[in-house]
Amino acid sequence: MQELHNKIKSILENGSASLFIAYQKSREGKITPTFITKPEQSQKAYFGDDCKQNLAVYIHKQEVKNFGKVGIFANIYTLKSLLQIYAENQIRDDYLKVVTINPNGAIVEFANFMEIENYVNENKPAPNPEDMERVEKLSNLSREERWDYWLNELSTCIKCYACRAACPMCYCTKCTVDCNQPQWISTPSHSLGNIEWHIMRAMHLAGRCVECNECARVCPMDIPLNLLTVKLNDTANIEFGQQAGLKGELDYALSTFKVDDKENFIR
Amino acid sequence: MNYKTLNTNKLPEFFEKIKKTGKTVLAPRKKGNKTFFATFDSFDQINFDYVQTALSPKSVLFPRVEELFTYKNDDGTYSVKEPELKNEVVVFGMRPCDGVALDYLCDFFLNENPDKLLQDRKNNTTFISLACKSFDNDCFCTSVGSSPAETLGSDLCFTDMGNGSYYVEVVTDKGQKLVDAFPDLFADTKEINKVEQLAQVPVRFELKNLVPKIPTVFETNIWLDQSLACIGCGACAYVCPTCSCFDVQDECNPKAGTRLRCWDSCAFGQFTLHASGHNPREVQSNRWRNRVMHKFNYSVQNMNTISCVGCGRCIRVCPAGMSIIEHLISVEEA
Repeated sequence: MQELHNKIKSILENGSASLFIAYQKSREGKITPTFITKPEQSQKAYFGDDCKQNLAVYIHKQEVKNFGKVGIFANIYTLKSLLQIYAENQIRDDYLKVVTINPNGAIVEFANFMEIENYVNENKPAPNPEDMERVEKLSNLSREERWDYWLNELSTCIKCYACRAACPMCYCTKCTVDCNQPQWISTPSHSLGNIEWHIMRAMHLAGRCVECNECARVCPMDIPLNLLTVKLNDTANIEFGQQAGLKGELDYALSTFKVDDKENFIR
Repeated sequence: MNYKTLNTNKLPEFFEKIKKTGKTVLAPRKKGNKTFFATFDSFDQINFDYVQTALSPKSVLFPRVEELFTYKNDDGTYSVKEPELKNEVVVFGMRPCDGVALDYLCDFFLNENPDKLLQDRKNNTTFISLACKSFDNDCFCTSVGSSPAETLGSDLCFTDMGNGSYYVEVVTDKGQKLVDAFPDLFADTKEINKVEQLAQVPVRFELKNLVPKIPTVFETNIWLDQSLACIGCGACAYVCPTCSCFDVQDECNPKAGTRLRCWDSCAFGQFTLHASGHNPREVQSNRWRNRVMHKFNYSVQNMNTISCVGCGRCIRVCPAGMSIIEHLISVEEA
């Protein structure tokens, strides 16, 4: 931990960031993000297996951007998110100072996104076996059974949009559900509105989801939303050979047009 | 107030008998690691091992989406239909803090311009609270003027006396009616000191210092410091038993339509966004300040009471680990 504190301290002191985002244990004993602006506060930073939140979500926040250059302590999913966000042209290389702890417990500071790309490819997190099993189980159901499963799960959604808010890849300044002229998606949290919302969200994340599972972790209703995007990622990988959060250059099936596309309808 | 006892092993029979009268019974049921109010087929589906339910019972009176009316246009002849709420409900197992919250919610919706739907739902529902034997770090009812012994807002309040019986406080006429319907289940008793049986929730801050202090820090950086972690979801508002903001949505075509009332949250960027594009609460810290000010200042001004009951749900649900207890203590110390 001391090494991490020293690193944050030096980053703030040498001016490569004016705000450093890390985890802390709060007074109430919660793991929360902490926003360190003074070098002497660096010892607030904490890291352990209980640090689950994907901190990449904060780089989109206006009040964080107001600080100027930002340093961030990133776990492997935050790194993947940052790389994907970079690939999607949402951050500049010189805006962020990214720090992680490697599997040997050493602090790593990245000079640029190329280094992050190399690091995440060397340290790819294994898929969660429990999730894989659940996806497999759902895939083996008939279409009707699967529909019933999701209808049942999604009908409990209260539309608090915690899934959207916690997701670093949900960074649109105006989400489709917030458009009301015209209104594309039914706002109320009745079954139809819920299904429309979650299908739309899943489709927008197909092949972009870094599988940090924040959407499922934060859901007040315990809906396993991550299974939708995990499955769609799988499909994007099989069909187009794409995996999110592993490349600093955008190569995204759902926004790419190729004249030699194997499908006829697109020509 | 009348006092009764009920053998704990008679509880299944109590529920069965209520169901036979055509009422719906909602009780705590486990889904994953969380507990929600839900209907049940058999008694063993009920979960008694919970500190607090994930969602409050407010949705029984104020559903997350509800129909206000439907209309039809039959070639120029318009007709409007309001819903008729007939379903009678008994809610079992809410905590005493939820009763306090329901009392506030009813005050909010029924006082000045009574809301007919909420009034109907209230008339049709009997709320039975189950006094707390345990608490967790996020419980703070005793800091906001309540306690596990509170009966306000409950129709009946059950306390497990640890001797195979529930001590039943009959708080309202509605509660009395339910007890009277099953005279063979309930026995008369005198007022008992139940406090020993209940959780001893520590006081975390001094409300009488806090309430006058909050408006004095309105223009400080404290809100930004507290809310940089806020990701702007509506989870805290939606699990909150007193949050009452709603959004009205019309779903219609030229032939027919429905007007719906849906939960809304002050954490959302669109909340109070004006048609001009101007938003008086432009950034998250402004919205967070509104949430805290509403609970501890605006509702004191408007309704003569704070509107936080210390249930701790917002703390347990927050994706970023924010704690209102911590924030109120930091205001107190500011």
